[in-house]
Amino acid sequence: MNKIRPWKMILAVTMILSLLSACGSQGNGNANAPTTPKEDATNSATDNATPPDPLGKYAETVTVTEVLGYNPPEDPRTPSGITPEQNAYLKDLKEMMNIEVKYKWTVPSAQFEQKFSLAMASGDLPDVIEVDQKTYEKLKKQDMLADLTEAYDQYASPALKAYMDSDGGFAMKTFSADGKQLGIPAFEDPFLSTQLLWIRQDWLNNLGLQAPKTIDELEKVAQAFTNNDPDQNGKNDTYGIAMQKSLFFWGFDVRGFFNGFGAFPSVGDNQSAWIKGSDDKLLPGLIQPEVKTALGKLQQWYKDGIIDKEFALKDENKAVEDLTAGKVGISYGEWWYPNWPLNSSVDKDPKADWIAIQLPGIDGPAKSLVPKIRSNKIFVVNKKMKNPEAAIKMLNFYIEVGNKKYKDKNQAADGYVYNWFNPRIANPADIDTIYTEVNKALDANQTEITIDDANYKTVADTFKATKDFLAGDTTNASKGVNWGQYYSRAAKDGGWGLTRQIKENQQFVYNEFYGLPTATVVEKGGQLDKLMQESFTKIIMGGSIDDFDKFVDSWKALGGNQIIDEVNEWYSTEATK
Amino acid sequence: MKSLKKEYPLHIMLIPGVIVTLIYAYGPMAGLVMAFQQFEPLSGFFKSDFVGLDNFRYVFNLPDFKQVLWNTLVIAIIKMVLSLLVPLILALLLNEITKKWFAGFIQSAIFLPFFLSWTVLGGVIIELFSLNGPINGLISSIGLEPIMFMLDNGWFRGIIIGSDVWKGMGYNMIIMLAAITGINATLYEAAEVDGAGKWKQMLNITLPGIAPIIILLSVLGLGGILNAGFEQILIMYNPTVYAGADIIDTFVYRLGMFSQQFGPAAAVGLFKSVISLFMVSTTYYAAYKFNNYRIF
Amino acid sequence: MLHKQSFSRKLFVVFNTLLLTFITILGIIPFVHLLSISLSSNTAAMAGEVKLWPVGFSWDAYVYLGEKVEFFRSLGVSVKRVVLGSIVNLLLVFITAFPLSKSNDQFKFRTLYVWIFAITMFFGGGLIPSYIIVKNTGLIDSIWALILPGALNVWNMVLMLNFFRSIPRELDEAATIDGAGHWRVLWQIYLPVSLPSIATIGLFTIVGHWNAWFDGILYLNSPEHYPLQTYLSTLIMSINAQMSSMSVEQLKVMENLSEKTIRTAQIFMGALPIMVVYPFLQRYFVKGMTVGSVKE
Repeated sequence: MNKIRPWKMILAVTMILSLLSACGSQGNGNANAPTTPKEDATNSATDNATPPDPLGKYAETVTVTEVLGYNPPEDPRTPSGITPEQNAYLKDLKEMMNIEVKYKWTVPSAQFEQKFSLAMASGDLPDVIEVDQKTYEKLKKQDMLADLTEAYDQYASPALKAYMDSDGGFAMKTFSADGKQLGIPAFEDPFLSTQLLWIRQDWLNNLGLQAPKTIDELEKVAQAFTNNDPDQNGKNDTYGIAMQKSLFFWGFDVRGFFNGFGAFPSVGDNQSAWIKGSDDKLLPGLIQPEVKTALGKLQQWYKDGIIDKEFALKDENKAVEDLTAGKVGISYGEWWYPNWPLNSSVDKDPKADWIAIQLPGIDGPAKSLVPKIRSNKIFVVNKKMKNPEAAIKMLNFYIEVGNKKYKDKNQAADGYVYNWFNPRIANPADIDTIYTEVNKALDANQTEITIDDANYKTVADTFKATKDFLAGDTTNASKGVNWGQYYSRAAKDGGWGLTRQIKENQQFVYNEFYGLPTATVVEKGGQLDKLMQESFTKIIMGGSIDDFDKFVDSWKALGGNQIIDEVNEWYSTEATK
Repeated sequence: MKSLKKEYPLHIMLIPGVIVTLIYAYGPMAGLVMAFQQFEPLSGFFKSDFVGLDNFRYVFNLPDFKQVLWNTLVIAIIKMVLSLLVPLILALLLNEITKKWFAGFIQSAIFLPFFLSWTVLGGVIIELFSLNGPINGLISSIGLEPIMFMLDNGWFRGIIIGSDVWKGMGYNMIIMLAAITGINATLYEAAEVDGAGKWKQMLNITLPGIAPIIILLSVLGLGGILNAGFEQILIMYNPTVYAGADIIDTFVYRLGMFSQQFGPAAAVGLFKSVISLFMVSTTYYAAYKFNNYRIF
Repeated sequence: MLHKQSFSRKLFVVFNTLLLTFITILGIIPFVHLLSISLSSNTAAMAGEVKLWPVGFSWDAYVYLGEKVEFFRSLGVSVKRVVLGSIVNLLLVFITAFPLSKSNDQFKFRTLYVWIFAITMFFGGGLIPSYIIVKNTGLIDSIWALILPGALNVWNMVLMLNFFRSIPRELDEAATIDGAGHWRVLWQIYLPVSLPSIATIGLFTIVGHWNAWFDGILYLNSPEHYPLQTYLSTLIMSINAQMSSMSVEQLKVMENLSEKTIRTAQIFMGALPIMVVYPFLQRYFVKGMTVGSVKE
């Protein structure tokens, strides 16, 4: 009997405390809710009387609360030790618009999601919020988002409107419901995701080979890269194609390789990609027979030593190491590789000459899988906020200060950290503007670029690097860094140059699904992903190729069939076609 | 009444500890309700739907769960045993080193890996055991076939366990060393006079002297029977060894891949807590029954 | 002391020295590796060419680090945290373990208290409720958020309690007869006698506070309040693995992260201060050797 008593007491204490703490949290959550000051109400009233000015100044200070997931400042000249609150852009915003930004908290971006869910649970949301698609849907469902339709119509600057219209309003439409604009999406050109093949021209030259157009040619090249000492250092220390343990990822993976077989398994988001079938239904790319053929080829390449024997062990950092060290001469990937990490490869070995080519396919260049939309951040406004238009004005502000007259003044060394400013939307056609403007200036032999709008800075940076690279000038940055800027963005045969051609020539296939992960994906997706990785890796490393059929059966049985139904349901009701 | 008066300073001493514990340890336990909810942060604990035991059913019925539970038990139990034995042996060996500076140096060095995170160490270990790594260099230099250690279920488990024991062994070793220094020095002097050798002294004085601490560490170690080392495995494993190295924690982590699933995660957490409480309290009472020693 | 050594003893000593030296080297190697990377050229580091000796020797990383305000600011926070936190922790452990080390007939409610504390070793509510409690007690964004919630480390307290039990009972019985109260017994008899165990637990406390990083992310709202390891964790973390495409901005982050030598230099410098603490505390371990003879 003696032993039982402490237990009872502990139980009682726990329960009482649980109740207490729970009540406490509830009370506090409510007390914290009305954060916007009273003055705002009168303020917005006076403001409405005058015709809306996208860049106008509030008569009385409007305080906007925000939270920030930040990355380190990009520019090395940024003052050491600066904090987001000290960002000089905030000072300018106050001066220009009389808007004061207050951060509830700031956190390194890798931890943002974690911290944000704590804020949600404690009922402590800021006024203007940067969210991902998932959180957007959650907030929408809980009816916590302000309707921005009017604020956008009245206050959005022409520049902002131009950005939003650049894709025909597709992204804006995606983030509206019942005629209400609930979020302003920051989106990018979906073709930034186009898969290319990066290959070392200097190795091809050393071995007297041509850039491959078909899988068979690629195989010959890769074999030669593996066995014939392409770097001519007298050692057998190279292999053909870079790869890592995640087959479908954001880089150094084999998405492009599968595309070469007309297989479209995934865009690298841990789930299947969806392609349009003959009967206007969406098919999961992951389980199509072309995937099996591609796996068979990878299996053979693994046996031949064309890919790393221990690829299954190595993450993207390892793949990057091998690329930099000159151990591997081919990698599938997107337009940005020269920018990073190939620039290090060039700096390490000045002879390294990387070129981009269209994906080799079974009989000639193949089509790449491309997403319908690339938008991983959306700006929304808390329904409780009194001045939703302040968010739109801040967007205007950010675009405005991108103009040349501000940009030349707003130096990183003076504490201007652009990537800490939110809400911030970049030109969705940013990269294409850089490409056309830089080439225009190059073709006309100009020494300065002519553009002076919000794209000024990025264009000028690339133009400078390009000039330096072409002149062999390394006073500002190393050869690799200059080349990386030039070859990723400006070169006609480079990363974006080639991507443009692929886009123009319709050499792509859309991933038709761009909705949220469906209910079954949320519940079973992790299991399915594990199943896929396990099965595919084992096949590549020498398992039976017919295990693919077993994989397809298990995938369907473990939830795949439901997912097919859910995705097609989405396609017929919600997709913007 | 008399005893109460005598004891009251003891109660006073406990007040600060009890207050802190009630607020910061018992307070959050209210969150255990998440295990029975379809918890959604925006709704909080009050508005989230109660789903009874659904979360438990969902997790326990997932096809891999049995395998994952088994992997966890195997890895955790071996780790548990070795991370007692190895530090014990090290402490005893170190106790025989007579040069103080040398003993001190070794102690520090053994404790060193404890300071590094798995994010840093994981990469080093993968490199160590890779095909081009030094271990395989050694193997091929004596004419054997190189081994892909990290891609083989058996080896991989061994490496996971070995490296974890290596990383953490300094911790328990220091506890044991502290216990050894607490042993009455006159006992050794008496044994010396009796002509007992070092080995006998170790068996008859040192080991019994630190027995309470060893029992304590074992009992508390059992509390970790379902903790096989999340961070380490997450960083070091790969698809070829999922079959043998996917553990409860990595499994739960994967459940949240597309959207954080608070309910199921809390259900697994609660399940683990109950199991470890059961393990520890049974061994606690066993140690008391058979040895008449209360570890706490 | 001049015991004639047998042959087997000599053999043992040689073997023992060799074995422990080997283990010592194993413990040091990762640090040598880190140091070498930090002293190499960045391209060599990025290409993974650095093993145990710098390739393309360069001080650049340390020169850069010398000007990095963030590093020194967070170092300052860490020092403050370790000092404050260790004092609070040790004090609480000390005064909590004392009453609980009494036997059940000396202190009637002992078992109840013990279990109040012990339960917290097994059950926790998870991040969200902990955050809510810390927020409601007004600690968010203050250094006390890193200290108070874990102010009483139960595991250390149980260790302390067991160390206390090895103190001969006659000591405090004699004192009690002299009319000393519990407090006096605690400060004047237990404190001096338990210096080695306090040093041991102090070491764990210091290391624990030094290495903790996640609570900083949770409870602190501005990066300028981050302790060193929280700050360092933001450098090691690669970008979100969930993302399926690299945006132009994330690309720039990757470029920055590839400053491998600087990152490594910071990891190394981050571990250095705490490595120095150990040998310092070791003096107290050695002093402990004489504890047994306190009792004349």
